[in-house]
Order: sequence, then C-alpha cells, then structure tokens
Amino acid sequence: MNELVQVLKLTLHEKRDVALAIIFGMLAGLASVALLASSGYLISKAALTGQLTVLIVIGACLKLFGLGSAVSRYSERLFSHRATFTMLGNLRVSFFERLSPLAPELYGKYRSGDLLSRIIGDVESLQNFLLRVFYPPIVLLLVFTGTILFTLYFSIYTAILLAVGYLLTAVVVPAYFAWRKRRRNWRTRESRGALSAEAAEFLYGFRDLKIYRQLAGKEQKLAGLAESYNEEQRNEGKEEVYSQSANGFIALLISLAILASGAYFTAAGELEGIYLAMLVMISLGVFENMAPMAAFPAHFEESRKAAVRLESVVAEKPREKGSDELPEGLLTISAKNVGYMFPNEQRPAVEDITIDFPAGSKTAIVGPSGSGKSTLLAVLMDILPARDGQVLFNDVSAEEFSQESIWRSLNVVLQENHFFQGTLRSNLQIADPSATDKQMAAALERVELGRFSLAMEVEEKGQNLSGGERQRLAIARALLKKGDIWMLDEPVSSVDSETGQLIYERLFDDHPDKTFIVVSHDLTGLEKMDQIIVLENGRLIESGSYDELMRSEGYFYGLKEIEQQVMA
Amino acid sequence: MKDLKQLAFEQKNSISLLIVMSVLRGAAMIGQAVFFVLVVDGVFIKGRDFGEITPFLFGLLLAIIVRSAAGYLIGRTGVDMAAAIKKQLRLKLINSFKEDPLLSSAESHSGQKVSLVLDAVDETDGFFSKYIPQLIQSYIIPIMLLAAIISQNWTTGLIILVTAPFIPVFMAIVGKRTKEKADEKMDQLNRFSGTFLDILQGLTTLRLFGQGEKQKDKIEESSKNFRDSTVDVLKSAFLSSLTLEYISMLSIGIIALEVGLRLVVFDNLSFFSAFLIMVLVPDFFTMLKDFGSAFHTARGSVSAAQLMDEEFSKERKQVVWGETELAEGKVPHLSLENLNFAYSPQFELRDISIDIEPYSKIAVIGKSGSGKTTLMHLIAGLLPIKEGDILIDGKPREEIDESSWFKQISYISQSPYLFAGTIKENIAIGADRETSQKEIDEAAEKAGISDLIASLPQGYETGVGEGGRGLSGGEKQRIALARAFLKKPTIILFDEPTTGLDLQTERILQQSIEELSRYATVITVAHRLHTIRNSDHIVFLENGKVAAAGTHEELAANFEPYRNRLPLPQGGATR
Repeated sequence: MNELVQVLKLTLHEKRDVALAIIFGMLAGLASVALLASSGYLISKAALTGQLTVLIVIGACLKLFGLGSAVSRYSERLFSHRATFTMLGNLRVSFFERLSPLAPELYGKYRSGDLLSRIIGDVESLQNFLLRVFYPPIVLLLVFTGTILFTLYFSIYTAILLAVGYLLTAVVVPAYFAWRKRRRNWRTRESRGALSAEAAEFLYGFRDLKIYRQLAGKEQKLAGLAESYNEEQRNEGKEEVYSQSANGFIALLISLAILASGAYFTAAGELEGIYLAMLVMISLGVFENMAPMAAFPAHFEESRKAAVRLESVVAEKPREKGSDELPEGLLTISAKNVGYMFPNEQRPAVEDITIDFPAGSKTAIVGPSGSGKSTLLAVLMDILPARDGQVLFNDVSAEEFSQESIWRSLNVVLQENHFFQGTLRSNLQIADPSATDKQMAAALERVELGRFSLAMEVEEKGQNLSGGERQRLAIARALLKKGDIWMLDEPVSSVDSETGQLIYERLFDDHPDKTFIVVSHDLTGLEKMDQIIVLENGRLIESGSYDELMRSEGYFYGLKEIEQQVMA
Repeated sequence: MKDLKQLAFEQKNSISLLIVMSVLRGAAMIGQAVFFVLVVDGVFIKGRDFGEITPFLFGLLLAIIVRSAAGYLIGRTGVDMAAAIKKQLRLKLINSFKEDPLLSSAESHSGQKVSLVLDAVDETDGFFSKYIPQLIQSYIIPIMLLAAIISQNWTTGLIILVTAPFIPVFMAIVGKRTKEKADEKMDQLNRFSGTFLDILQGLTTLRLFGQGEKQKDKIEESSKNFRDSTVDVLKSAFLSSLTLEYISMLSIGIIALEVGLRLVVFDNLSFFSAFLIMVLVPDFFTMLKDFGSAFHTARGSVSAAQLMDEEFSKERKQVVWGETELAEGKVPHLSLENLNFAYSPQFELRDISIDIEPYSKIAVIGKSGSGKTTLMHLIAGLLPIKEGDILIDGKPREEIDESSWFKQISYISQSPYLFAGTIKENIAIGADRETSQKEIDEAAEKAGISDLIASLPQGYETGVGEGGRGLSGGEKQRIALARAFLKKPTIILFDEPTTGLDLQTERILQQSIEELSRYATVITVAHRLHTIRNSDHIVFLENGKVAAAGTHEELAANFEPYRNRLPLPQGGATR
C-alpha cells in the first residue's frame, strides 16, 4: 500500500481536475438514479391519477435527468482522463529525477533494454490508478450518500439496506478479491517472462538446436511454458469474471431485499404504495454505478505491483561521493589495484589493475573480446565504481570528486552512443548548446561527415544512420565538448579501416597535448601510442610502447602475428 | 476479423454453451422484471398481503440466481474459449517457426517473432473473451426483451424498432470520425510517448555531457502536449458515447411519454404492463451499448491477427530428407553438383560444384556477402536446395535420413550460442545421447576449458544464461569445441573467427581442428592464411559463384584476386 501513496501524492498534485472529475462523476451517478426514480414515480402516479399536468412535469424531469446524466458523464470522463495524463506526466518527471543520478551506473551494470521497457510499461500501467482504483470508490461513496439521504425521507429500511449494499459491493467484496488476488499471487507475469526467454532461446539458438537434434525437446518445453502461461491467464480471467458476477449478484440481492421490505411495509400500511416502485428503481439504478468496482481488485493489484517495481529500480541510493571539483587542466590518471565485478557474475570483469596514464599521454587498451577493456574504461570514467582499489586524478582519489566535475573534463565516445530524435544540430548541441553552425559543420568535416547537413533528421536512436556514421557522429559530438581527457571505447570499430585511421590521426594531431585513453579492437596504427596495455581475462598482462612490446615477443606480439595472418 | 470469427466458431461447444446461457440470461432478465413488477403491482395496485406476494419474491430470487449464474458462465466460457484459441495460436506459431528453414540463418527478426508469440496472441484475447460472448448475447437477448415488450404493448415495440437502429448507425459514424481523428494525431501521439523512452535511453549520454538537468522540462513539456492531444482524441470518443447515451435517453423518454399517455389518458394499459415496459426498456438499450464497447476491444485484436496471418501464410520450402541411414562413424563422400539457392532476387548462389573427399580439408574464402555462410548452411542441411544435388556417398540428400545425417555433423560458428543452463548442460547438448561425466571431462579437457571450469566455484554447474553472458568470446568458442569433441562428428563445418580471440583459444582452436580433422572432413570458412594454406582444396567465392578453386599454390600462381588478398609477409609495413 505504501508504494501507492507516492503515486497518490503525484495524482493529487493538481487537484482541480481530480475534484471536477469527482463532482461530475457524482452528478452523473445521481442523475441516472434520479432518472430511474422519476420513471418509477411517474408510472405509479399515472396509475393513480388522470391529471395530465403531473405527467408532463415528471416527463420533463425525466428528460432533464437524462440529459444531465449524459452531460455529466461526458465531463467526468474528460476531467478524469486529463487528470490521469497530468499525473502520468508528474510521475515521469519525478521518476526521471530519481533515476537520473543512478542511470549511468545502473545501465552499465544491467542490460538496460529490459530495464527501460519495464519502466515504460509500469509507468503506463499506472494510468489506471486514478481512473480505476482511486476515484471510483469515492464517487460511489458520494452517489450512495446522496441516494441514501434521499431514501431516508421515505423509508429508513431502504436507506439501511442501501448502506449495507454499498459496504458489501464497494468495500467488502472488492477488498476480499483484492486480498485473494494478492494471496494467490498470480504468477502470470513470471510465466510470461519464462515463455519469452524460452521463445528467444528457441529462435536465437535455432541452428544449434537443429544440428544437435534438440529442436523437438525444446519445442515441447516451449509448448509447455506456453501452456502454463495460458493457464495463468485463464485462471486470472476466471477470477475476474467471478469477482464481477459475485458483485452483481449481491447488488441484485440487495435490490430484492429492498423490494421485499418495501412490499412488507406497504402491505402493512407503513409506506405509501406510490413510492414503492420508485424505491425499487432507485436500488436498481444506484447499483448500476457499481460496475467499475468489479475491475477494482485487478487494477489495484496491477497498480500496486507496478509501483513496487518502479520503486525497486530507483531504490538504490546514489553512490556516495565527495563534492570536490576536479581541477581544470591536464591531469595524470592512475589506476591502483582496480577491480570490478558485475552483479550476478562469478568472476571479476577486471582485477588488480595498476597503471598510470600520464597527463597528455596517449594510451591504447587492447586484448581479446571479453577481456575487460570496456569495463576498465568505464571504471576510469567513473561510470562504474571501482569495487577494489581506486582511480586517482593527480594522486587524489576519484571518490573525492563529484561525477559532474569528472565528466565535465572528459570527452567520451562509448561503443553504443545514444542519439536523440531530432536533427544533427540538436544532437551535436548536447555537447555544447552554444556551438555555432560553423563549429558544428567543422566537427562533422573532421570525421568525414561533411556531406551531412545540420538540419538532417535523426530518427529514434539514430537508426537512420549506419553504425559507422553513428560512431563518427559521436566523435564529432565529443569534438565540440572540449574536455581535456579523451576516453574512447572502440570508437571506429564499424568504420572502414582507412577512414578510421584518418580520424585517429586527426584526433591526435588536433589535440597533441590532451590525454587519450583508447580501447581498440584492432592492432593497426598503434605505433604512435605512448603506451599500450594488454588485458586478458580482466588482468593486465603486458604494457609498454609498441616497439617494446614487439621486441619482447610476448602476448601483444602473438596477437599481432595472428592479425597479420588474417586475409583481407 | 473473419478469420478470428471463424476460429471462435470452430469452438462449437463453447459457442453452443454461450447461446444456451444467453437465452437463459435473457429469460432470467425478463423473469426478474416480471417478478419485480408483480410484487409492486400486488401490494400497490391490487392491495394484496405480504404473504400473497411471497411466492413472487422467491420467483425473483430464482431469476436473480439464474441471471447471475448465466452471466458468470458466459464470462467463464469466454475466458476458456480465449485460452483454448490462444493456446492453439501459440502452438501453431511455434510450429511454423520450426518449419522455417531460413530461421537458422536470419537471426535478425527473432525479436519480432518472440513478440508475435507473446503480444500478438495476447491481443486477440479480448476478441474471444469479451467480443464474441457479447456478440452472441446482443443477437439473442435484445430480441427476447423486445418480444416481451411487444407482448405487453406493440406500439412501444414499434418505437424501439424505429429508434434503436440509430444506435449502431451513430456508433459507426462517430466511431469512424474518432478513428480518423486518432489516425491524424497518431504520429504526434507516438512522438510524444517516444520522448520519455528516448530520454531514458540516452540518460548516460546526457549525464556525460552535463545535460541531465535540462531534460526534466522536456519531459514535462512533452507529457503536457501528449495529454492535450490525447484528451483531444478522447473528446470525440466521449462525445460518441454522449450521443449514444442521449439517443437511448431520448427513446426511453418517448416511450415513457407514450406509456404514460396510454395509462392516464386512454386508460388502455395496465400498471403491470406499463411498469414492466419501463423496467425492460433500459435493459434493452444497455445491451446495445455494451455491444458498442465490446466492438471497440475487438479492433486491436484484428490488427494482431493480421500480423499472425502474415507469418502463417509465408511460403516455406522444406529441406527434403529420405529413409536411408548413413553408416555410423564412416566419413561420407560429399559432392555438390550445380547447386543453386536464392533468398531473394538480390542474392543467390549459383552453379556451385565441389567434390569433397572423406577426411579432406576444404577452405571457403571470399568477401563478406559472397555467400560463404549460405553455402555452409546448404551443406549442413539447414537450407533447401533450389536446383542441383548434394550427393552423400553417391546418394542424393533427398534419400538420406535426416537424423542420421545430423548425427554426423558439427557446426562451430563464430559466435556459438550458449543456452540458459549449466556449463555441463551446454557441453552435453553436443551428444544426442546419455553421456558420462568422464566423457564430458575428456571433451572439456581437449577443448582446453577444463582449467577454467575448475577455477569456478560451482565448476560444471555454473550457470551460463541468456546467450552465455559472463563468458568471453574465446571461452564460448571452446565450449562449442567441447560439444564437437563429445559428439565425434564425421563432418565439421567451421566458421573461423576473424579476430578478437585470446591467444590460448587461438592455439586451442588450431590444435583442436587439427585433432578433429583426423577423424572427419573439415569444411572451414577461413580467414587465416595458416588455415587456408593447410587446406587440401580452396574454394574462392565471389558474388555467389565459385570464382576459382584449387590448392594454395595453384591459386597463388594463377589467380590474381587471391594473390592480392594474401596478407603481406611478416615484418612488412602495415596494411
């Protein structure tokens, strides 16, 4: 429940729409009850008198209530949806504010694709919170209170029965089903996850499965999971039908009781017969408003779970760090016994790395795939925390500096760089909002993208650009940032090698006194680097200049030899 | 929507149950109204005792029970029907994936296919669990109610017959307008809803560039715009229900007036009939409106069904197999004769003829896109031949038993797939039989992975999941080798990695292939000079054709493009 309080606060952030929705909801409910009440009264009255005027007056009431109910319902829907979307906006902002300090580390640690689609889905599903969880009981309470007060004037028993009916159908039964739902803890979501994982495996591993004759077995397993997911869905669906029917049944029973008591008191002469039809119609009408409560348990549980999941994403406290500013200018960066292990993994990704990156030096990090190159770079960038050891800037621990101030000095190009929907210009301006078109065009020129216009549209995730174009654009963006330390993670892996070498050369020539740390997958053109460090299995096994490493005929030499064996 | 409907009506039991229950529910609704009215009529007009009307109250109780029970059963049947059909659809999808030979090569669309099995199928749910039951009820119950009303007063029936058709007509008109409006704004809506995801995805970038703070306003603004556009679209949807509500209110009003007039002025209608009509008429309109909202749910299901239909209607050509079993352990002679294969008009393999002697080493080389991998898939029996023959020991592949063929081969790709499970399971998958720990140990030893396994706290039981995260490229490669050692194939298809492997794996890979080749034919997509040189026969592919074939010496002497692609000798300048 606590998790939903936060959502509730955001919902009530802008009270006007919520209040209007509740008021119109109440009016709509009361008008529909009044409509049926007057039709019941009309018939009874008509049966007794021959006066046409009565008929006309009541007939006019009928129209009025009908129109009133329809218009109020319309306004209610409008305001409640407006309020819901406002709430969603607030929710997004508040979630963003909490996620923002955690994001780089969180994304580095986990596969961010899954995480993000989960977040988006959960935020979306909270749109039902106001519409189907929070406000139907309140509106119903108001409608019932109004109706009960009205009936009190005619028959206290009817009023009592209505109150009991309200308690049962709006509180007891939904609460019972919500409790049942929670206790049974439907595994629908889990079984969906299992099915999805298995289906992905079936498709991605198809070739191996086929060759190893495992396809039939895997298909059976997949069919089994599909079946159990189906069963969960079926049970959940049945539960909903059950809850709906139970609520409807109780409402009808209450109407029956009102009729019976009304008939009893009419027969006994304690209630005027002319009101009997009206009271019965009221009971039928007021319970018609109860329909949304049937879906309450499902939506309540769904909202609660979504809130819990969202909470768990941002529950982690941001890493505690000092707030010192990293000094401007050239800095020597050092790693001292640095180690990092990803959550849920058994081996450290990097271990016991000690190396200096002197101010203004150019370093290449090389090694086989999976040797920990990118992880080391992420630790140096302060995206991931050093689990062991520490990173030092001019002999002061990185822990003393705020992330913002470290990142301000860095020019970073990652393996996968994000581009936003917009134009090339808007994407480049992320690096420097004040950059002029001339500067931006020059940056594009430096990475051989001069043919692109700044007004060119960039689609979501830059998917209208090729991998190589995206990498070059990321370098152009970094060029505009003017930091003192360049950290590049395989920045030209998708660019043809000639252009790649050209871009490297320009980078180094244009920034001769800046510090460069470059993760590289290929070993060409490393002759110019001041130092090369070689990682294997997360450990630093060799370092030195190109010539030193080649002379010593160690690991680097071996890798180089293999590279030279590869056919063009 | 026809196909979905057909699927629903194939569930004959459910449909009959729905029909019976709808009739029952309709009858109960009428019964409920009748007893209600009888009670009121009894005490109010006829002045009866409470005791005299008690039987009516019991009748009413019965009607209520039947109405609720029938409603419950209708709902349940809908859920059951949806579950049965969804199961059927999922199995059909899985089966159609299994039958798709191209799946082994085209991995790119796997994500979409997963979503087909999950999301698309789920989206059809509403059609079966809500729309169809509502459809059947809407065919049956309003007619029953109308009949009951006409039996009391035929003129009321006439008014309904005149006014009711306006509801579906208006529904169609307004629905169409809403849809147009929604389509018109769709683009805008999608853009807004994408912004949040876009910003979350780019959060690392934004923070690295010190732009995190500014995005708050952007989210706020896009959320507001999103809200306003959505509300705009919703407005017209709500307006449609307002109109519907108003039409039904208007009809009820007209009917009330008519009934009242007859009751008061002409005095030719009894209180019983008048009250009964006034109870039944709202029910009648409610049924029609419910159908309108169910119709809405059905819309989403239809587009999902179309997606599935596309998958089902894909043309698939299967690999043809026969009955003849291959002799176990004997290395077969393979011969490709004038093979042709096409994915699409843009890419095809043409006129491939290669003779592959038992125990020989074949190297396939060529630029990326020249058809190397496709050729490997054809040889492996993963893709169907369009024209030409693959002869296995002189017999066309169409005569060979599928199982006995796959028992003979191993395929080691550049990025072997590791299944979610333990290391042991991932090695054991290589052999299609029970294997002892000793056999697995030996295979791991030969593939140079036993040291690594021993270093892990859980050893063989270490979980490697989701495509084998936590293992490096080289380690995955070695697990694939272990699979091959366990299987002892007679034909090995090997896609040599370009670079990125550690030296140990490089060494092991060379040794292992050497070792495996003593008992098998090895066909390699080769990138290393060393591998190419050591082959007995080199096939040089260009644009899907064999441009040249022969030994290293022959090609180096006679084939210019081959010579040009050879790496420069050691110590030379960088390329």
